Amino acid sequence: MMKLEAIIQPSRFESVKDALREAGIEGMTVTEVRGHGRQKGHTEVYRGREYTVDLLPKIKLEMVLPDKLVNTVVDTILKTAKTGKIGDGKIFLSRVEEAIRIRNEERGENAL
Amino acid sequence: MEMTTSARLGFHPVKQPSGTMQGSLTPLSVLGPQADDERQRIRQQFDAGVSARDTVRALCDLADKNIQRVFGEVVRVHDASCAGFCLLALGGYGRKLLFPYSDLDILFLFGSEKAEQEFRPLISDFSRTLWDLGFRVSSAGRTIEECKRIEEDNAEFHLALLDRRFLAGDAELFEKLDARVLPGSEKQARPFLLAELHKLTKERLSRYGNTIFHLEPNVKEAPGGLRDFQAAVWLRQIAGENKEIVNSSSLEDELAAGAVEFLSAIRCFLHYSNARNDNTLTYELQAAAAERSLGVVDGVRRSAAEWMRLYFRHARALNRQLLRYLEQRSTTPQTLRQRFFNAARGTKFEPSNGKPFAVREGLFEVLDQQAMSDRAVTFALFTEAARAGIPLSRRAERGIGYIMKHPELPVRNAEVTWPVLREILGADYPGFALRPMQRLGLLTEILPEFSRIDSLVVRDFYHRYTVDEHSLRTIEHLQELADPPDERGTHFQPLWKTVERRDLLILSLLLHDIGKGMAVENHVTGSLSALESAADRLKLSTEERNEVRFLIGHHLDMSETMQRRDIFDPSTVSAFASTVVNQERLQRLCLLTYADIHAVNPEALTPWKAEMLWQLFVATSNHFSRTLDTDRLHVSEEFSLLEQVRKQTASATVKEIERFLEGFPRRYLAVHSPVEIAAHFALHQKLRSEPVQVDLQSTRHAFSLTILTADRPRLFATIAGVLAGWGMNIIKADAFANAAGIVLDTFHFADLHRTLELNPSEIARFRRSLVDVVTGTTPLEPLLKGRESASRARPLKVAVETRTSFDDTSSAHSTLLEVVAQDRPGLLYDMGSILARLGCNIEVALIDTEGHKAIDVFYLTEQGRKLRAEKQEALREALQGTLA
Repeated sequence: MMKLEAIIQPSRFESVKDALREAGIEGMTVTEVRGHGRQKGHTEVYRGREYTVDLLPKIKLEMVLPDKLVNTVVDTILKTAKTGKIGDGKIFLSRVEEAIRIRNEERGENAL
Repeated sequence: MEMTTSARLGFHPVKQPSGTMQGSLTPLSVLGPQADDERQRIRQQFDAGVSARDTVRALCDLADKNIQRVFGEVVRVHDASCAGFCLLALGGYGRKLLFPYSDLDILFLFGSEKAEQEFRPLISDFSRTLWDLGFRVSSAGRTIEECKRIEEDNAEFHLALLDRRFLAGDAELFEKLDARVLPGSEKQARPFLLAELHKLTKERLSRYGNTIFHLEPNVKEAPGGLRDFQAAVWLRQIAGENKEIVNSSSLEDELAAGAVEFLSAIRCFLHYSNARNDNTLTYELQAAAAERSLGVVDGVRRSAAEWMRLYFRHARALNRQLLRYLEQRSTTPQTLRQRFFNAARGTKFEPSNGKPFAVREGLFEVLDQQAMSDRAVTFALFTEAARAGIPLSRRAERGIGYIMKHPELPVRNAEVTWPVLREILGADYPGFALRPMQRLGLLTEILPEFSRIDSLVVRDFYHRYTVDEHSLRTIEHLQELADPPDERGTHFQPLWKTVERRDLLILSLLLHDIGKGMAVENHVTGSLSALESAADRLKLSTEERNEVRFLIGHHLDMSETMQRRDIFDPSTVSAFASTVVNQERLQRLCLLTYADIHAVNPEALTPWKAEMLWQLFVATSNHFSRTLDTDRLHVSEEFSLLEQVRKQTASATVKEIERFLEGFPRRYLAVHSPVEIAAHFALHQKLRSEPVQVDLQSTRHAFSLTILTADRPRLFATIAGVLAGWGMNIIKADAFANAAGIVLDTFHFADLHRTLELNPSEIARFRRSLVDVVTGTTPLEPLLKGRESASRARPLKVAVETRTSFDDTSSAHSTLLEVVAQDRPGLLYDMGSILARLGCNIEVALIDTEGHKAIDVFYLTEQGRKLRAEKQEALREALQGTLA
């Protein structure tokens, strides 16, 4: 099993979610986050006051996937989240040792 | 007394499943199934239609019987006497209201500490056996001495003790507690109990957002739940009144009794359906309850939504009763913050000034009940409440309600007009009027469309409240911006304070979700049709109707743009700006969006979303102010505009209108209606006979001055100077020029000394003075001199740092100068003079104020070109030197 964390543009979230659903992925955790990578942010001036937007709004998706689905999901996110501009985000993958469903204590991929 | 291990084991069905209590007459294996059978029978009877009242009583009797039996057995097995020890039922169980999966609140009462030591092992066996029989025991132990003392950190215990009932054991000990010990200590503790009950109740109500209108309400704890009834009973008890509200004869008590029966039936149903003590009335269970017409007495089958309206009606009865009791029996009627707030406004005790209402202890009270049969008086009261942000007392509300419910009391001035309503909607605290208006049915009298969403449950994952509650909450979230309760509102506070036509924004919020109560595919379509009927009835002007239509029709746009588009992409901002058209509307739409998201549920407007909304607002606002002169009117493409203006003007040709409009910035169209444009054109036609045309209009809180003339040096500064010389404070201004060099300046100003208002003859002199100074017939300086000393004497309330910034990139033709400075009379004249002295031509100007801050944007050119770097530096120095 792999844990996938994707940081994407908020504007791409609906498309990514729909594409993942079409790919058969139902479960995910979604968090509103702020941060920056190479896209450093900018300063906005409104009525004489400066607002530094150094942490840009992003959406973080988290899901744990059976190994066989990892490539499909990664491809789906790449296809739907990409605009080609700086700030499109990143995908992180890491190995997961175990998953346990609390309700019935099922383990492994059955618990996903 | 000593207990043997075998005796303990005798009570444990797990270790000795078919055993008996040692020496017991009745084995657990018999008691257990008996209790289960009885529970089953009670449930079947409930399902067959037995009332909730009888059901909870039967459950209580079952528990009583088993407790008494087990207690007797335990005492016998332990070979003990129960002298100095007894059992009491507390709380709901004490009141003989036991729901299927509720805990049994039991108190072990000891005559002394020695007795406590002696009976402890017995208690443990007793409790365990009850658990094994399927009763959930929640117990506490106290000596009679301990019961005398008030535990300040455990008010709940003392409140539960108010509902004590003897169960088993030493009856004399109970009698001593009930008749001799507690009456004295409870009387002494009355202020403490009252204060604590207030605190606990308010905390509970606040946990649920102080509203009954939850889509999936908790029928026990939420406002309007059974706990409200209990708190009202306690308030009566503590005050020494009869606690049997249910048997009381007044209308309110009858309603409460009906509500208790209805909610008790739901609670029984929820417990049975969930097989646990879960009191949340979920969507699924709402449908199931409606299907079996749970609690319905008229025999009419209802849809889930209609059945929920019944629920809210009952919940409202309980909640109103509680709130009235809370207000009447308040020890500390207001929070510290409220008291400071009201004290600052001097509202503690205001004279009525002959009005039939006045402020008493921070609440509006009705002094003359009869006067309330005149709707004009009633609405004057609501208007004052909305202006001052002071709520009506429950008594005042009941007084108005009384008149409304008695048709034999004739109502005068029943028709409420738009000018009356807009006073309320446009005030700083409209929610303080709209809430009681809704409760009293007055809101639906004015806006019958609102009844479509009355207590309406629309199921989705995000909304927590009924549609009407959501709509009113949007308005309350806006009025909170006067003093934002958390960081999410900080950015939006100035927008709320400075928004124009707040009345239209609030009307839009009242109507924006009406469509959810209509059989339409898209609720926005329904809301728009509701607007049309409301606008016809209220006789809104075309401009007002169009504005509300826009806000309702586009109320989801900003939210969708910020969540589904890249708001940092200029093309997103540009597209959004082209929909919104102008700054004033953007401000209203932004506030509407803020309020609409905020009122979905308490967590819906995350700081993240609030920031996104703010970013989109700022980007769009800046887009408006930085693209002014790139987006000029080319009239040949504006056929419909030409037609509209032509309709307003009798003799003009299209060509003449074209010549006038050609080259104005598009903002000119965005901020002026065709009627206004036609009026400007009429002024333009008169330029041949009189080279300076002046139009002065009095608006609700200010004056609006339009000046049309051929461009000339120092024009803007000169007009600003005349206004300063007359002591007028400029709130807002626009300066536009068309391709033919005709300048149209609009100034909105406050007449600080009420010169024009109190001396109508001065209006003509003011107009003359303007024309004379602009044409150079009269010098400006003498006019200004008189004002200088007066303005210098005024102390500054807030210090605003002067900031100047230049932008060469936003416009292809001009340099943008933005100046933020301390506002003061004559400021604009000073700035205009500096610009003129340094040879800068003002192409476009946008002048605005925000409290004591002036925020001015100028599009400047020097000999038709952008400003050179040296000129910018010179300008900065001059402005800083003069304005700082």
